[in-house]
Amino acid sequence: MKNYDIERHVRGESQFVDDISYPKGLLYAAVCYSDQAHGEIINIDISDVEQVKGIKLILTAKDIPGENQIGGIVPDEELLAEYKVEFIGQPIAIVVADDQLTAKKAARKIKVDIKDLPIITDARKAYEAGKLIVPPRTFNLGNVDDCWKKCDYIIQGTVESGGQEHLYLETQGAFAYPVEGRGIKIISSTQAPTAVQRVTARILNLAMHKIEVDVPRIGGGFGGKEDQATAWAVICALAAYKTKYPVKLILSRQEDMRATGKRHPYTSDFKIGLNKKKKIIGYEVTFYQNAGAAADLSPAILERTLFHCTNSYYIPNVKATAYSCKTNLPPNTAFRGFGGPQGMFVIESAMYKAAEKMGIDTSEIQNANLIKENDEFPYGQKAENCNALITWKRAEAKYSIKKTKDDIKKFNDKNDMYKKGIAFIPICFGISFTNTSMNQASALVHVYTDGSVSVSTAAVEMGQGVNEKIRQIATETLSINIDRIKTETTNTTRIANTSPTAASSAADLNGKATEQACNNILERLKKSAAEILNLKAVKNIEIKNEIVYHNGKRTKLSWNELVKQTNLKRVNLSSHSFYATPNIYFDREKEKGNPFAYHVYGTAIIEVTVDCLRGIYKFDSVKVVHDFGKSFNPIIDRGQAEGAIVQGLGWMTIEEVMHDENARLLTDSLSTYKVPDMHFTPEIEIEFLKNVENPMGIFKSKAIGEPPFMYGIGGYFAIMNALKAFRPNADFKISSPITPEKVLLNLHSKIDEPVTA
Amino acid sequence: MSKYTLTINQKKQTVDVDSGTPLLWVLRDSLNLTGTKYGCGEGICGSCVVHIDGKAERSCILDVEDVVGNSITTIEGLADKPDHPIFKTWIELEVMQCGYCQPGQIMTLATLLEQNPKPSRKEIDDAMNEVLCRCGTYQRIRKAVAKLVEEK
Repeated sequence: MKNYDIERHVRGESQFVDDISYPKGLLYAAVCYSDQAHGEIINIDISDVEQVKGIKLILTAKDIPGENQIGGIVPDEELLAEYKVEFIGQPIAIVVADDQLTAKKAARKIKVDIKDLPIITDARKAYEAGKLIVPPRTFNLGNVDDCWKKCDYIIQGTVESGGQEHLYLETQGAFAYPVEGRGIKIISSTQAPTAVQRVTARILNLAMHKIEVDVPRIGGGFGGKEDQATAWAVICALAAYKTKYPVKLILSRQEDMRATGKRHPYTSDFKIGLNKKKKIIGYEVTFYQNAGAAADLSPAILERTLFHCTNSYYIPNVKATAYSCKTNLPPNTAFRGFGGPQGMFVIESAMYKAAEKMGIDTSEIQNANLIKENDEFPYGQKAENCNALITWKRAEAKYSIKKTKDDIKKFNDKNDMYKKGIAFIPICFGISFTNTSMNQASALVHVYTDGSVSVSTAAVEMGQGVNEKIRQIATETLSINIDRIKTETTNTTRIANTSPTAASSAADLNGKATEQACNNILERLKKSAAEILNLKAVKNIEIKNEIVYHNGKRTKLSWNELVKQTNLKRVNLSSHSFYATPNIYFDREKEKGNPFAYHVYGTAIIEVTVDCLRGIYKFDSVKVVHDFGKSFNPIIDRGQAEGAIVQGLGWMTIEEVMHDENARLLTDSLSTYKVPDMHFTPEIEIEFLKNVENPMGIFKSKAIGEPPFMYGIGGYFAIMNALKAFRPNADFKISSPITPEKVLLNLHSKIDEPVTA
Repeated sequence: MSKYTLTINQKKQTVDVDSGTPLLWVLRDSLNLTGTKYGCGEGICGSCVVHIDGKAERSCILDVEDVVGNSITTIEGLADKPDHPIFKTWIELEVMQCGYCQPGQIMTLATLLEQNPKPSRKEIDDAMNEVLCRCGTYQRIRKAVAKLVEEK
């Protein structure tokens, strides 16, 4: 069963937004961005630009017919800045012209007079200045304040984790055109078609039914097109509405990198207490999230940091507090893992530091504290069908961990300038949108009279193979050939009120809706078959491989004939079906509940070799035992895991987002921002945990998009382990990404004076 | 604007564009050959790789006037041979995820295998290292190339 898109992809035939042939009279939009990070807008002077040949229209905030507001969770973000700018790259004006170059040149010529205001780029400074996006949140379990006296070891520290550029290879973009009745149709590269529709309606002061959003597929999203695809689509819609012509806007790579938010950098303080048996007694953590200049999805990401603050471990006493701090950077946003990785990195760091103090291997603490069946997470949910320990044990056995460790020791004893390191990393990730109301999806299935089938859902195909999974669900439910089934573009007129394709949940939610819709049609077809075959009871009828069977015996009625005759009998061959994840809730007053349908578990072992003279490193291997549930498409699932691991390793090691003191992004191109490439990618070995069926997942599988990303955290600690071999007594700071430059500083600088163990 | 006659996928085509226009945009905007993708515009990501006289080149940093008289092949040209072994293997192993970078991957690999039918693992990694895939399909690309080499 092949990824639906592959045959077209290999020939360059599949269409992304910028590949679609546009209607006559296409105009191009370009954006005038703020080049200052914080200030009051004194004046916007468009006089140099207005009369330029080819310019059709210039739009500023005052030209917006509706509300100048694109904020989703918190209404705190203007589409076009009117009185104040809060980050470099904030849109101020839109130029619409006959061609792209004219539009871009003109956008640069608009003079914006801005009176400087103080700039904050650091989360802790924002916190000190009282600049919070939303009130802080605290999760509590047990009693942290009373637990410290029971601890034999107490370790405190600070952990930094950096941002991450999404770098979807298809940059942000959209195209919009006017349709009859003053409506707008938008083709957008978005993970959230309904967000685009809702915000466009708000900006244009139109009913949502006047706005149609269509998404053919997207060239990578990774969360970067969940909230932040909206602005560009709305800009096109506004320009199309005003000019009455089709308008396109595709960002250049540099524009995209400068103007869009990234994974949130976090700075965090921890205090961890353990007893002599290596059991963690208490964990207190404070997260300072660098949200950037507007809320975007930061409050939800902050929440997920708290949900995952204890990763795969049971800790009886936990107090975790999180602050979302407002800074003058572009609003940071969703990125694979959605705050989970940042929370998990801190507990892993705390355990690493504890092991250092206790003079033992971190894996001993990790192993001793893995969460077990019915243990309670800090948010009140109990671990069910818990596979933390089983994946750990299986990984230890399968990958001959004792021998590996011995080999590493031998290597390190023999080599002065090269050191090997190893780390375990267990993961535990909750599946469901933590905003319970978003856990809904619908599917629209049509069976045409020739027996072919069309399926529409809310899921956006972005490389995760959701379309192929949906086709598999339809083909297996109806028991017909997969070639009969086509998944359609994601479109708001076919599927309304869509949740974004995010939180790893698109296949589960939309797949369940598809299964139900297919079953609805199947029931009608069986009833019809009973009538055609002159049988009284429907119950012994089934369809197998396109043939109707009765009492297990093959009849002469084929799928094609059944469909044709059912239509002639005036029976509905379409079904719209709706799915909402059952039994999930979360009480934000108490910060307790059952927010997740289930958890995904797994364990990875990562090995690295560090060149201690040059600071460069090479991951030798990533060996994983992962709980995929009962995967119904192992090829897609394995690919997702491999890709997530590479991206997670990148976040922890080579990918460094840097700004200067004026909040200007220094890493705004592929020549200054490094992402994993072929040389970086280690051998990745993945074993599917056997005999696991997930009752809550589609076809008993488990979601796969995000969880394996967090194996990347092990890459950081594998490097630390190697550094330790070179400089055993140094007290290394925990600060990711650990770039080769930072490796060198750690190995050879005098900043980290050796401490006596 | 000036007229340039280019040989693309063995057909002569005349376009009317400004001098200095990158070949990428000539292909995409003037000739509707949208299989070649824009990724970075500075010759780093490799999404825009085409063949110029059989060599893999980045079309985003090639000016149109510099490729007049050369033989240019795009992914659409390669796709004229529907049974190209790379396509078959790519489909069989389901190499790609979002697919955006893959024309660049395939075009890069096609020239590698043309020049060196039995590349070593290091030669494969070195050649394919020049094309970025943010979905991280590298391991699968490696496997697919190894399979192609083995079957030769």
